[in-house]
Formats: sequence, C-alpha cells, structure tokens
Amino acid sequence: MSVATSAWLVLALPLAGTLIIALGGKYWHPRAAATIGTLAIAIAFVFAVITLINLQGLPEEERVVTSSLWDLVNVGGLTVQLGIYVDPLSTFMALVVTGVSTLIHLYSAGYMKTDKGYVRYFAYLNFFVFSMLLLVLAGNMVLLIVGWAFVGAASYMLISFWYRRTTATAAGIKAFVINVVGDIGLVLGTLFLFKTIGALDYGSLFESVQVDFDKNAPELVIAMLLILVGAFAKSAQIPLHTWLPDAMEGPTPVSSLIHAATMVTAGVYLIGRLHPLFEWAPTAADTGAVIGAITLLVAGTIGLVMTDIKKVIAYSTMSQIGYMIMAVSAAAYVGGFFHLMTHAFFKALLFMAAGSLIGAMGGEQSLDKMGGWRKALPFTFRCMLIGGLALAAFPLFSGFFSKDFLLYEIAERGGLYWILYAAGYIGAIFTVLYTFRIIFRPFWGKPCEQAVSLEEGHQWHAPEPFNPANGEVEDTDVGFPGPHHNYAEESTSMKVPMAILAFLAVVAGVVQLPYEITHVLGSFLEPTFADSLIKHTQNNGLETFGLVLSVAISVIFIPIAWMIWVKKPGTSARMQQRFKALYELFSHKWYFDELINALVVRPMVWMGRWFKNTFERVVVDGLFVGGPTSLVKAGSAAVRSLQTGLLRSYAGLLILGVAAALLYFLIRAA
Amino acid sequence: MAISWYLLVSAAMFGLGAIGVMVRRNPLVILLCLELMLNAGNLALIGFARMWGNGDGQIFAIVVMVVAACEVAIGLGIIVALYRRRLPVDVDELKELHG
Amino acid sequence: MTIHLSIMLWLPAAAGALALFLPARLARWTWLLGTLLVLAYSVVLLFDYDRAAGGLQFVTDELWIPSLGIHYALAISGLNLVLLATTALAFTVAAAWYLWDDSVERPGLFALLMGLAQTAVMGAFMAQDLALFVVFFDLMLVPFYFLVVIWGGPDRRAAILKLFIYTLVGSLLMLVGAIVTGVLAADGGAPSFLLSDLADFPLAGGTQAWVFLAFALAFLIKMPLFPFHGWMPDGYRQMPIGVLAVFTAILSKVAAYGFLQVAIPLFPDAAVRFQEALMILAVASIIYGSAMAFTVTNARLILGYSSLAQLGFIVLGIFALDTRGADGALLQMVTHALVTVALILIVALLARRADGSEDIRDMGGLAFRAPAFAAVFLVLTLALLAMPGSANFVGEFMILLGVFETKMALAIIASIGVAMAAVYALRLYITTMLNRQGSQTDSKEMTAREALVIVPVMLVLIALSLVPQFALRPAQDGTRESLAAAREVIANDDSVADSRVEARR
Repeated sequence: MSVATSAWLVLALPLAGTLIIALGGKYWHPRAAATIGTLAIAIAFVFAVITLINLQGLPEEERVVTSSLWDLVNVGGLTVQLGIYVDPLSTFMALVVTGVSTLIHLYSAGYMKTDKGYVRYFAYLNFFVFSMLLLVLAGNMVLLIVGWAFVGAASYMLISFWYRRTTATAAGIKAFVINVVGDIGLVLGTLFLFKTIGALDYGSLFESVQVDFDKNAPELVIAMLLILVGAFAKSAQIPLHTWLPDAMEGPTPVSSLIHAATMVTAGVYLIGRLHPLFEWAPTAADTGAVIGAITLLVAGTIGLVMTDIKKVIAYSTMSQIGYMIMAVSAAAYVGGFFHLMTHAFFKALLFMAAGSLIGAMGGEQSLDKMGGWRKALPFTFRCMLIGGLALAAFPLFSGFFSKDFLLYEIAERGGLYWILYAAGYIGAIFTVLYTFRIIFRPFWGKPCEQAVSLEEGHQWHAPEPFNPANGEVEDTDVGFPGPHHNYAEESTSMKVPMAILAFLAVVAGVVQLPYEITHVLGSFLEPTFADSLIKHTQNNGLETFGLVLSVAISVIFIPIAWMIWVKKPGTSARMQQRFKALYELFSHKWYFDELINALVVRPMVWMGRWFKNTFERVVVDGLFVGGPTSLVKAGSAAVRSLQTGLLRSYAGLLILGVAAALLYFLIRAA
Repeated sequence: MAISWYLLVSAAMFGLGAIGVMVRRNPLVILLCLELMLNAGNLALIGFARMWGNGDGQIFAIVVMVVAACEVAIGLGIIVALYRRRLPVDVDELKELHG
Repeated sequence: MTIHLSIMLWLPAAAGALALFLPARLARWTWLLGTLLVLAYSVVLLFDYDRAAGGLQFVTDELWIPSLGIHYALAISGLNLVLLATTALAFTVAAAWYLWDDSVERPGLFALLMGLAQTAVMGAFMAQDLALFVVFFDLMLVPFYFLVVIWGGPDRRAAILKLFIYTLVGSLLMLVGAIVTGVLAADGGAPSFLLSDLADFPLAGGTQAWVFLAFALAFLIKMPLFPFHGWMPDGYRQMPIGVLAVFTAILSKVAAYGFLQVAIPLFPDAAVRFQEALMILAVASIIYGSAMAFTVTNARLILGYSSLAQLGFIVLGIFALDTRGADGALLQMVTHALVTVALILIVALLARRADGSEDIRDMGGLAFRAPAFAAVFLVLTLALLAMPGSANFVGEFMILLGVFETKMALAIIASIGVAMAAVYALRLYITTMLNRQGSQTDSKEMTAREALVIVPVMLVLIALSLVPQFALRPAQDGTRESLAAAREVIANDDSVADSRVEARR
C-alpha cells in the first residue's frame, strides 16, 4: 500500500464512522455505536502506523507525499485541490491524534454509558477525529481552513453536548465565535499570501516565499500575524483564550480529547507546518513566542486559584500550550512537538482521572467539596498522581524530558530568547504548585461525604441531578447527563485506556533523551525541518543546567505544595487575605472576559439595538421608504381630491377645459 | 342670411344649456339643459351644411339626435329608478363616486 | 435555434393555468408536476450545456416588435445556467411544500400565480434582450402582489402596498433607463434592444452614469440592499411562508444577476465610476444586516436580515470587478438561494412546534425529541454562516479574494461580517433548538413529508460543497464576458494614470 492510499484511509475511516453512526441514528444499539466509533478510529490508527512505516521506507529527501482527488476550485488562476500532504510532521500528528482518540473513545464507552445521547456522542466524536485529521493532512491552505473550521464545529457540538444546559450552550457559542475569529485571521492571512505568491498549496508556498518576499517584508509579517490569530484562537492563547475554560462544560472525555490532547494543539501544528514562512518573517514568529510565554505565565497563575477541578486542568492546558507555541515560534520544533506528544498523554490521563473523580463525586466539580479520596479511588488516585508528576516535570517522567528539551532548544538561540527560557522555568514553578493542588486537595485530608459513602460500598448520588456550574436542578433525559455517574474503578473500558496512558506518561520520554542518548523523534521529524534556517548544536552544559534547575524546582516546590494544602490547610486562605489584590486578579482570570465584553460584545449589542430601535425607524423606514411612498401618496391625494363625485363640478371642469382648448386654438389662429 | 347669425343663436343656446347644467341640481333639468346643448350643436351643423350646400352636416345632426334620444331614454330611466328607490333627486347628494 | 427554452419558460405558467380548472387535490399535483418537469429540463441543460465552448447556447431569437427592435431572445449562458436550475429547484420545493399544506384555499389560483412567478423569473434569467428582461423583471412582482393580498398575514395590505410602491419606483426608473439606452444606442437608426447589440454601442459617459444609477437602484431595491430594504420587514412578516421562501431565495438573485447580465456589460464606465460607492454600500449592508440579525427576535426577520448581509457579500463580489470575485458571487447566489429556501421552511417547521409563534423567544429545546430535525437544521445553519467546507464558504472566500485584490480594506471590514454571521446563525439555532423547552413548545420529530421537502435541498447543498467547481466552471466564462468591458475601462484608466506619471517624469 502506498503512503497516499494509507493516508487517505486514515482520513476516510473516521468519516465513514461518523456517517454510519449518524445515519443509523436511534436505530443503533448504543453498544454498537460505541464499537463502530472506536473501531473506526482504531483502524485509522493502524493505517497511520502503516503510513509511518511506508514513509520511513522512502529515502529521506522524498518523505513528502502529496495526492489529490479532484479540484474543488479551478478558476481564474485559483486552484484548490482536495489533496493531502503527507510528511513526517503530518504523520506524527495523525499518529498522536488517532492514538489518543482511540483511547478516549474507549474511555467514553464507559464514562458515557448511561447518557441518553450515547449514539449522538460517538457520531460527534468520530466527526471530530475526522476533522482533526483533515486539518493535519490537508495539502493546501484552503483545506487546512476547512479542517480548522470543522474542528471548531465539532468542538462546538461537543461543548454543547448537554444542550439543555444554558451554561453549555453559552459556552458553545462563545467557543465557536472565537474560533470563527481565528478562521477569519487564517483566511485573511491566506489571502495576503495568495496576493503575492499566487498559490495556496504548501509546496508552492514554501518554494516561493523566499523568492517573492524579502526577509521580514511587511506584507509577509502581516500575513503571518493574521495566521497567528488563527493559531491563537484555536490554541487558546491570550487574548483569544477565554473560550477554553468555558469549554469545560462538555463531557469530561471531550475535555480530555479536544481541549487537552488534540484540537488545542492545532495552533502548534500550524506554526510548525508553516515554519518556512514564519522563519522568513521573524517578527511574526517572535510575536508568537512572546505571546506563548505570556500565556504560559498568566494561565499558570489563574490555575493556582480556580476551584473547579476541570478549570484548573484547562488553565494548565493553556499554559502548557503556551510552552509549545513559544517553542515552535522560536524554532525549537523538536522540543515543541515532543512536548505536544507527552502532553497529549499525561493531560488526557489527568482529565480521565478527573472525570472519574467527578463521577464518584456525583457530578460535583468543586475542589472545595472534595477530600480524602485516596482510599476510595485507589486506581484514579494513582493515575492522577502519575499524570500530575509528568505534568509537573518530575524527574524521569515524560514531561520532565520534553519540557526541558523544549526550553533547552529555546535557550540555545541565545540573546533575548533567554527571557523566554526564564519565563518557562517560572511557569514550571506554577505548574508544580497547581498540579499538586489538584492532587493534594481531593485525595488528602478528611474524606468528604461522597468518599465515605463509596468506601462503604455504595456510590453517592445527588438527591436531584444538578448542573455543577450553576446548581440548577435538571433531569437525566437527553440533553442532560445520564442518571449514573461512572468512575474508573467500576468500569474496565475506562481503566484500560487510563492504564495505557499512565504507562505512556511515564515512559514516553525515551524517544528523545537528553545528551542525544536517544534521538528518535528528532531524526524522524528531521526531513520536515531540514529546510529550517535555524540550526541547533548540541550544548551539554546548557542541557545539564536546565535539568538541574528542573529537578530543583520539583524538589523545592512539591514540599511547599504539601505544606500549603496538606500540612497546614489554612495556609492558602491566609495567603488569599494577604495578597488580596493579586488573588482578585487571578480569580477573575485577569479580567479578560470583562475586557472582551466591554470592548467587543457590548458595543456590538449596543450597535444592534441602536440599528433596530433608531436607525431602522428613522432612516430606513422614514427616509428611504417614507420618501418615495409619501411622494406617491401626495401625488395620488392631489389627483383624488379632484374626484369630488359632484356632477356639476365635473361639468364645470369639462367646460373650463374645452374653453381653454378653444382659447388656445383661437390665439394660435390669431 | 350670413352664417354668423346661426352661430350666434347656437352659441347662445349652448351657453344657456351649459349654465343650466352647472347651476341646476335636479337631474331632470340637467338632462333638459344637455339636450339644449346638443341641439345648439345641431343648429351649428345644419347652418354649416347650408353654407357649403351639401347634406353631410344634416346627416350628422340626425345621428346626434338619435344619440340624444338614446341618452334621454337612459337618463330618464335612471331618474325613474332614483324615484322608485326614494333617493334624493339632487345631483349634489349623489356623489358616491368621490375619490 | 431551439424551442426548448420556450417550452421550459412557459411550462410553469401553463401548468398553473391548467391547475386553475382542476379540483384542489389535482391542482396541487399538477403544479408540482409542472415544476418537476422544469427541474428535469434544467438538470438536462446542466449536463447538456457545452462547458468547454461556453457562451450563449440553446439560443431562441425571434423579432417580437419589429418597429421597436425588440426581440424575443432567450439563451443559456454560463451566468444563468446554474441559477436556472436553482430556480427550478426552489419552485419545486415550494410546490412540494404546498402539496400537504391545506391552509391554502383555492390552490388552483395559487398554483397559477406561482407558475406565473416562475415563468417571469426564468424569463428574466434567460432574456437576452433588454426590453424582454425589463418586461419579465416587472412581471415578477405582479403574481406576488396577489399571492400576498389573497393569502398573506393579517396586516398584509399595508405591507404589500409598501413593497409594491417601493419596488415599482425602482422598476419605473429601470424602464426609463432601458428606453433611453435603446433610443440613444440606435442613434436615429433602427433600434435594437438585443443585449449583444447594445453592448457594441456604449452610451456617452454622463448618460451612462445616470442610466446605470437607475438600473442599480431598481436592482438594489429588489434585492434588497441596505439602506433600500425598508419594505422587507413588513413584507417578510406577511407573506405566506412558501411564497416567502421562493421570494427571498430567487427574486433577490434576479436583481444581483441583473448587475452581471445588464448593468455592468452595458454601462462599463459607470460601473467603474460607481464601483467604490456600491462596494461601500455592500459592506454597510453586511455589517448592518448582521447586527440586525442578531438583534431581532422574529425568526423570519433574522433570515431576512441575514439575507441583507449575504447579498452584501454578493454585491461586493460582483463590484470587485474581478472575475474571481464575480465567480464567487455567482456561487454565493446559488448557495444562498438553497440555504434560504430550506431555512425559511424550517421556520415554518419551528412555528408548527411552537404553537404558531415565529418569535424565537417563544421557542427552545425543540431538539429534545427531534434529533433528525436538529441535525438537518444544524447543517443548514452551518451552511448559512458559511463554515469552511460548505460551498457557501467557497463563494465567500472567492468574493473576499476578488475584493482583496482591488480593495483590501473593504475585504477586511467585510470579514467582520463573517464573525457576526456565526453569532446570528448560532443564536437562531440555539435559542430555538437547544436550552430548556419553552412552555408552549412541542418537540416533535420532522415528519416524512417535511423531510421530503427540505432534505433534498440539503443534499444538493452538500453535493455542491464537495464539487463547487461544478457551478464555478460555467460561471467562469460568463463572468469573464460580463466583466470584460469594465476591466478594459480599468486597464485604460491605469495606463492613462501610468502615462501621466511617465509624462511628469
């Protein structure tokens, strides 16, 4: 099987899964839908592996395979093909996406078991995977935008999955609209590129960019900044990040798949994909790196104070993606994608564990109400701990290697990149703190009511189902979560993927060990980034420095976290009092929502109202309709007033008219 | 006799008729005044016919008379219908046609 | 020379006339059969039209009024090929919709009027003679007048009067413009109103400007485009829903088509002169329509104002005076027609489930027991907001591409409208289908009959999304011809400007 065929099959299987599940609709047995959905993705993963093997079989310089089915558009010099672009980078992404997705499908089969929308859920989930694969395999900018938007739509549908919750639908529209803003950035950036280069497929773009543009030419920089807007919107970077925390309204496996492991990394992929363009516009690339650094710090601080466990993980995701965006923008590609992979493993794992915990809590998500779960949920606890250690870059876990490698590659560029390096390690401190906050608070301390109940052998359920976001009472029919909340300990299909991910979260670092002990990922991605203008050289001293720093952070700050949240439980409350202003800033998420509301949303609403209540009435109805209409009316009124119905006046007028005509002829004759 | 005398009489009859149509309110009288105007026209036609010495004008006059007879028949019919329905026999009151 | 176009053109009117004399049930079927035949004809044409050759095909050309040089000239070109098929589909959908709608009394008369409307619309699309175009363009309004007066909502009289007077003002201006064009082009010789003849004798600059404005005003009112949409809100509220579907979907496109077919090729200098003004109007329409669409609460009006915005995109694409922009506009005309036909009927479906109300505040949670309905509605909503992947996006992308080449700033402002479209389209979907159920609502699944009317349109839309080239290929030749004169004017202006610069040096 050729590379192209297997890559097309990777793309086709999830689509087929979506269609089969969706068209069958309610006629599918729920179990059948789950099986079809999971199998479709699992087989897609197999084909991704086959693609990988075939690709590796090609000589290094030929490891870019393009293939197209037909022309979508071919008019006036604009050609858009339905085509794919298979190279090590897109294969790598396809592997991560299908691999993690398979596990999450499996997890979902257990987690969503009692939900009334089970079949619909799997249709959506397959559609999401298809969209994501379209995004990574797309062969030109337009198809990339299509995948980009499909992913946004799939994310919207899954965020609003429990569609009778107003909080979920509001979060859905917010995510969708911000993603559309990103799409527009991408479209405009693409148009800028097209205006000069006159082509939209990657091959032509990469070849022509250095010919058609001067280095750092203003048009190119603007184009790349607009494309960065797209990347920021999808990857939840400041200031387009506000949708991500709200997106936690979706079912937890969705958060795990879309809002942690795959979709939000699309921006990272985009920058990596277009690296020849970004490197030719260093101003834009540096902007991306700086925004990434700012995001990783800001998100880290917010993660410290959120009380909703899913939101803490969401902000952690934002922060980690900040690392990746910073890395790929700063040309630390291998580091960035290495971290993307390990992050996909441990963050998916963390969300799965959190989902299991929330299930055991009967749907409650607030950290304030959790406590002492260690004994009741031993498996979940272990997964959470492993995921947490990997996230906190604890020595020898996968996150440790990937984060260090990422920062090391950035530092290697020297100069001002040292600031980014420093930001990365400051962010690492926040990471350790918030990570252990979500481990210590739910699992240590006095067991909460729910934990006690589970230890006694029966799962706690709220007397009435409720929405954890606003406490509204709800039922358990379609559009709300099902009657039973599932947790890992009781469900094999949840346990298996968690175990696999836990294993990967521990060992995934081996693909790229320090001091070039192993260099699997680096050499695999090498053909994609061979044309990079920035060359990395091995610097053992620098690498050692980073590793030591990282170990030190773990060793110092994990005990501090222990002190704050386990040893002396009142500490965090005291600190909130002491640094009240700071706490307010963090817990209001740096007021970004309020800012966007004041700058964009409210003016828009106000404009709409003004149009409707004033402009429409006065100008459109008054001036433009009123003008011609009143003219016609006045004319007809004038004519109408002549028609009195009085016979005698008609006669008079007639005679007057005849007389006037006579007079006219008389005067002419004379 | 010069044609002008005929025309003068005709004009006088026409003017009288026109004034009658305009000032009187009884439809019967209006109808009579209309007849007067038509006959003023007839007189002029016959006068001209005599002047030119051929019968064309007289034929016209006869046609006008026929038309006038039809008109009177219809007009009287309408007036009778008005009486029967006890409507006011006053053209100022009959103005359903106003715009 | 073929008679096929004439048959196709008069078939709907004939079917309607036949239906007038048949009992109710049979009348509906006759009407549907007539529209189906036209649809079949148009599909055959789609595949029979020689795309490689392009140009005018299936020409019918008879001298109609010899003394005035008015021809009965019909033809299929790259411009109207796909639009005709869209028209046929939209009217078929309307006929199918009324097959089971018993609320319409005297279906025979209804069918006759709708048949006449279809004939008039197709005539305007096919006409290759200016006078014939004007006749059909004005004829379109007549059946709609009666359709609204007889079957409209409670306040129909005021609404239709407003609509009628307003659009008539535009039509009269166009009539005057057409006569002036014909007379001046003849220049004392034998007049001819054939578009191809008229294009060979362009008017002088000053005359061209105001004649162009007369035509433009007529088209802008008919579409409508901001700020000439004053008749729209009342008109939309009072029209019977199936009539509204056709009206929004098709009539607005005739006006947009008028720009490409008549106004720009005949008055190229004026088109270039007023290019910016019209583009600014289009952008204003995009922003205004979108802002209104996310403010009003009547479902019909949301779609009405969204059309205002979408037509803004179409006009923007046409007046980019770039073939890609115009191709995009043409594609957008087709996709927007399909989307609105389906969505307006969806409003009727919503009203059936919300106790007759068309106010979105009275709805909510309708997806609860109606997953298939929700899915269809969602697909259409995503198409409405021109999500990438839909043919609507391809149209919008090409429009923006065309505009970007000429007026970059306008393209960037217009793209704000894309984000606003997401807001109003999703607002419509969410407030009606999702959230808690409204008190007066009844979540019922789409019936087979409802599905039979709406789903085919959705499938056509999806097919078109997979192969937009199918519609773009013929459009390409059509727009190139239609814009050729205007592009020449621009090129001359540029070279004049260049030579001035040279001279200064």
